[in-house]
Amino acid sequence: MSDALETVALAGNPNAGKTTLFNALTGSAQRTGNYAGVTVERKTGEFFTPHGRKLRLVDLPGCYSLDGGSPDQEIARQTLLGGIEGEPKPDLVVCVVDASNLERHLVLAMSIIELGLPVVIALNMVDVAESAGLRLDPPKLSEELGVPVVPIQANANKGIVELKQALRHPFPALPEANWKDGPAEDLAERRRARAFQICEVAARRPDGHASTLSDRLDAWLLHPFWGWIAFIAMMLLVFWSIFSFASIPMGWIENLQGLLADSVSNAMPEGDLRGLLVDGIIGGVGSVVIFLPQILLLFFFIGLLESSGYMARASFLMDGLMGRAGLSGKAFLPLFSSYACAIPGVMATRTIDSAKERMVTIFVAPWMSCSARLPVYLVLVPLLLGGKEGGLVQAVIFFGIYALGTLSALVVARLLRGKLGPDEVPHHFMLELPPYRRPQWSYVFRHVASRGWSFLQKAGTVILAIVILLWAAQTYPKTDSEDPAEQLAHSAMGRVGAVIEPIVKPLGVDGRTGTAILTSFAAREVFVASMSQLFHVEEGETDEETWQRLRSRLAEETWPDGRPMFTIPAVLGLLVFFIYALQCLPTTAVVARESGSWKWAIGQFVFMSAFAWIAAFAVFRISSMFF
Amino acid sequence: MALATANDLEADSLLSLSQAKVGCDFRIRFLNGPACEQLRQLGFCESLQVRKLADGRNLICTVCGTRLALSRELANQVMVGAA
Repeated sequence: MSDALETVALAGNPNAGKTTLFNALTGSAQRTGNYAGVTVERKTGEFFTPHGRKLRLVDLPGCYSLDGGSPDQEIARQTLLGGIEGEPKPDLVVCVVDASNLERHLVLAMSIIELGLPVVIALNMVDVAESAGLRLDPPKLSEELGVPVVPIQANANKGIVELKQALRHPFPALPEANWKDGPAEDLAERRRARAFQICEVAARRPDGHASTLSDRLDAWLLHPFWGWIAFIAMMLLVFWSIFSFASIPMGWIENLQGLLADSVSNAMPEGDLRGLLVDGIIGGVGSVVIFLPQILLLFFFIGLLESSGYMARASFLMDGLMGRAGLSGKAFLPLFSSYACAIPGVMATRTIDSAKERMVTIFVAPWMSCSARLPVYLVLVPLLLGGKEGGLVQAVIFFGIYALGTLSALVVARLLRGKLGPDEVPHHFMLELPPYRRPQWSYVFRHVASRGWSFLQKAGTVILAIVILLWAAQTYPKTDSEDPAEQLAHSAMGRVGAVIEPIVKPLGVDGRTGTAILTSFAAREVFVASMSQLFHVEEGETDEETWQRLRSRLAEETWPDGRPMFTIPAVLGLLVFFIYALQCLPTTAVVARESGSWKWAIGQFVFMSAFAWIAAFAVFRISSMFF
Repeated sequence: MALATANDLEADSLLSLSQAKVGCDFRIRFLNGPACEQLRQLGFCESLQVRKLADGRNLICTVCGTRLALSRELANQVMVGAA
């Protein structure tokens, strides 16, 4: 029966609050942000008018005009014109306009009125307009345009009932666009002139330019010097909280996992099924779920920065730096997100206008050291320091690791951007800096929850499948030996390790480490677990204890001829390998989806793996001369 | 004669938004360049008042109460005169 529902479309300029209104009307939790271009595709929902009539609601991406533009704007236009297959032409259009920006938003509203569909205007953010000193006169506006105008405040649920009243039957009469008469070529000009005329009477602006709170904040936050200080302080705070706060809930997850593994081990007789459950599923999925707190925190901060309006400023500040890498300020948010995880980072590239710039950003995003590499670094870095942990030197090495990844990403971006050539249509940097607003907590939290849920879903499907496969490869074929190392050498995985030993030997490590690297191609953090298993390290009570034991074991490890194996050059080589290698299957899958090309995704995988090997080899050889 | 001189003076006093002084109010006189339509859609239309807030590789200005950051290439195409 859903086909018989009448369709209401939400249209308007970017960042006018369409999605906020969509959520308020339908009670759903679509992602919103104080940032132009958060909605990149069409979304539908259903709601009831006060008379109990069910209507279908379509949320469209924002557009500045109906005359084409980027792909998301094209969707909006085609939907309004009824040009999308399977999507009926809307029966009514709710045009969302930002009351504090009427001069600009009315022009689009007027071109929508010209389409000859019933239109209701939702005058959003009246509170912002009034606090800016604007004198709004909705009845006058309605009279001038010939369509109903409902003042609302979508984020506070004000005026929603009145708006629903306006959407009931009979739909408002078709408006007549009296400015349309005349020659077509200067229609846009007439439309604009009329919009200003209407604003003169219906939305009087106070004379002069009053300095708002946003102006005063921007004077500091966009200042060429203080702006950078504030930016760096904010980024440090975000990273510090991600790496320090998150360790508390991560400990809980770890304990829970240990408890679960113990109770399963005690309840079941020894055997393959128990091995699969305890080592494969609980251990494997657990090693990934443990990053949930960090991912949630990162999304919380990104949500906070987006909904307060700071993200647009960060893009503005970073535009100069990104410009040197051939990217624009809009690439900042995706690359920044990639420090937590490349997957949301790659998805966030959708706001980039230029298709080529977007592809380049997707390509280099995995070189931003993600949180999954952290356990590997935590095990390897102290080996460089003779087993000592903590201290300034370690912090400097960590900073160097992040800086190396980031700088290489920017250099490759620049080379690749040069190779792809300029865009057919030049895209100039142009960004709306929305006024600072109080974050909408309910949306921030709902957004965090939905991201967390999708991460858990991934852990329950893709990652579960991978760990089961890995477990099987490490377990079969079986030997009679009790020695786990011998069993591993006999297993499919061990045999693969023997085959790849010639590949990893030039990097200064043996086949066992090679096998661990191989397992880490499914997910990097698996490396630590595999190394512990391969070098017979008993698992400690906590992760730190396990890592400590693993480190002392590795420090003692020698080649058959008595030379120590994990020398400084070998560890440096391994670190460099992990900085550059794209060892994350889910990322490759997401890159293929977002770039629309498996070739791009596989090319990225091959390039990064080859680059990682060459870089690790070079580092090992060169540093061998010194140590 | 006086009127012609006044017109000439007015034309001479026009400058592009990227040349304009920070912190001052201007009125947009005309748009000139390939990205005109794009600018108009953003709200840069003739006879609107604009205030330039910051200069640099990208500059910031307000038009009708909206703050916009735009590149110098775009700002070069907006000709402004005294408010």
